[in-house]
Amino acid sequence: MTLLSVESSTWTITILGWAIVFIALLFLVIIFLTVPKLIRWASNRKIKVVENGQEVVKSYNDISGETNAVIATALHLFFNESHDDESNVITIKQVKKRYSPWSSKLYGMTNYGFPHNVSKQNRYSRG
Amino acid sequence: MRKFITAYSVLALLFCFQIVFGTDVSAATESVGAMDGLSTLWNFTGFANVDYHNLIMIGVGLFFIFLAIKYDYEPLLLIPIGAGILLGNIPGADAYGVYAKDYLLSLVANGQLEADQVSPSVLEYLYFGVSKGIYPPLIFLGIGAMTDFSSLISNPKLMILGAAAQIGIFATFLGASALGFTPQEAGAIGIIGGADGPTAIFLSSKLAPHLMGAIAIAAYSYMALVPVIQPPIMRLIIPKKERAIKMKPPRAVTKTEKILFPLIALLLTTFISPSALPLLGMLFFGNLLKESGVTERLADTARNSMINIVTILLGVTVGASTQANVFLTTDSLKIFGLGALSFIVATAGGLLFARVLNIFLSKDNKINPLIGAAGVSAVPDSARVVQQEGLKTDPNNHLLMHAMAPNVSGVIGSAVAAGIMLSFLL
Repeated sequence: MTLLSVESSTWTITILGWAIVFIALLFLVIIFLTVPKLIRWASNRKIKVVENGQEVVKSYNDISGETNAVIATALHLFFNESHDDESNVITIKQVKKRYSPWSSKLYGMTNYGFPHNVSKQNRYSRG
Repeated sequence: MRKFITAYSVLALLFCFQIVFGTDVSAATESVGAMDGLSTLWNFTGFANVDYHNLIMIGVGLFFIFLAIKYDYEPLLLIPIGAGILLGNIPGADAYGVYAKDYLLSLVANGQLEADQVSPSVLEYLYFGVSKGIYPPLIFLGIGAMTDFSSLISNPKLMILGAAAQIGIFATFLGASALGFTPQEAGAIGIIGGADGPTAIFLSSKLAPHLMGAIAIAAYSYMALVPVIQPPIMRLIIPKKERAIKMKPPRAVTKTEKILFPLIALLLTTFISPSALPLLGMLFFGNLLKESGVTERLADTARNSMINIVTILLGVTVGASTQANVFLTTDSLKIFGLGALSFIVATAGGLLFARVLNIFLSKDNKINPLIGAAGVSAVPDSARVVQQEGLKTDPNNHLLMHAMAPNVSGVIGSAVAAGIMLSFLL
């Protein structure tokens, strides 16, 4: 039961398998080291401008993380502080109470002598 | 701990009922009618059928729940799995568990049941998603929709650390073969080193379904124990001076890069390892939903409601698959031993590779080797452990964002490794 007793195919799978994982991720590394360069190259081509008869390349890709964070925070604050337009009328509107048997005083608990049956002491002890 | 011991003592006491009353009440009484009914009822209860194996597993389930609640170790996984272990180990409930069909078919073979009376239980239906490998890709869809690959895109060379840590998978594969497991079983056991529960379940459901319960429990247990397993290895391998290395802040990543990443990674990795398509395809599809910016509703569902539902179903059914008669074997013990070894090897592999990588990097671009430990998937726990260890050395050194790069590349790496194992062994 030692590693030497293991079949050769097991060793092949081990070495080859790990190598393939490495190669797959190495490809991704290479691609994603190249992609930003391609994007930068493409965007630089777009913003070539002519100043005083000479072609000048203006790049806005080198904005640091801190600058981005400041811009993002400013935008966040701006959007969170803005309110909906309100009517500016802050007086309390009078609410008309329409009749409903659900809120009718006639059918209220008082009609059944509810508070009168409660002893004086209990009545005053309520909040 | 006291509560856990109390709960377990109550169970042990209930077990004593069986010793007092015996397993078959009908033998003790000769009366008919009501007593017959009572004896039948008794024989159907868990008390009459209880076995110490069931009690051991119930203890394991309670321990998982205890760890999750008391120490907050992966509670989203350990509580469903712990509850599942309880469900799967109720004595005498064989006709309602995940293996109900096998049990009922055995009754048919013995002539105790008619073939047309065999109908699967609810748990067995739910377990279908595990046994057929449906849940893991859905979990990957959710993971993709919640993962931000920015740190990876901003510093792609860190991706290699994710590949280095996958040595745990292949070393365990070798170790399992040496211990006498078949190549298929060894492949399924090896994936524990990937520290990725869904990948472990996916691969074991294809290569060694009979070991799936043990493999899944081992993978999730060690993932939950990442904060315990990794720090000593980190301190052992990385000298204090190197632990204090400060890394350059990651650069800002453009939206175009974020959209291109899932597309390129999907095509490239699945071209290399087509067998990993169900996992990697869903992972990058989920990430595309998130980064495209126009499918927010779908991304939101994938990373919240859907992944939560699937996690519940996966946890409970995987837990329920650990029935004592199939789980408590010497093979399970070996799997747990190999699983621990694979986590240690994977962590050490990532750390050592990070140190080697530093030799080739310029003085300004040195990486903190601690982040190599995050190469063992276990997202985001291992990255969190790296952050904590970094802070212990230097309270101003925040490594979390840097550690997320090898962490998510570890997920990709372990899925690729699973695909390779499938191609070689299926």
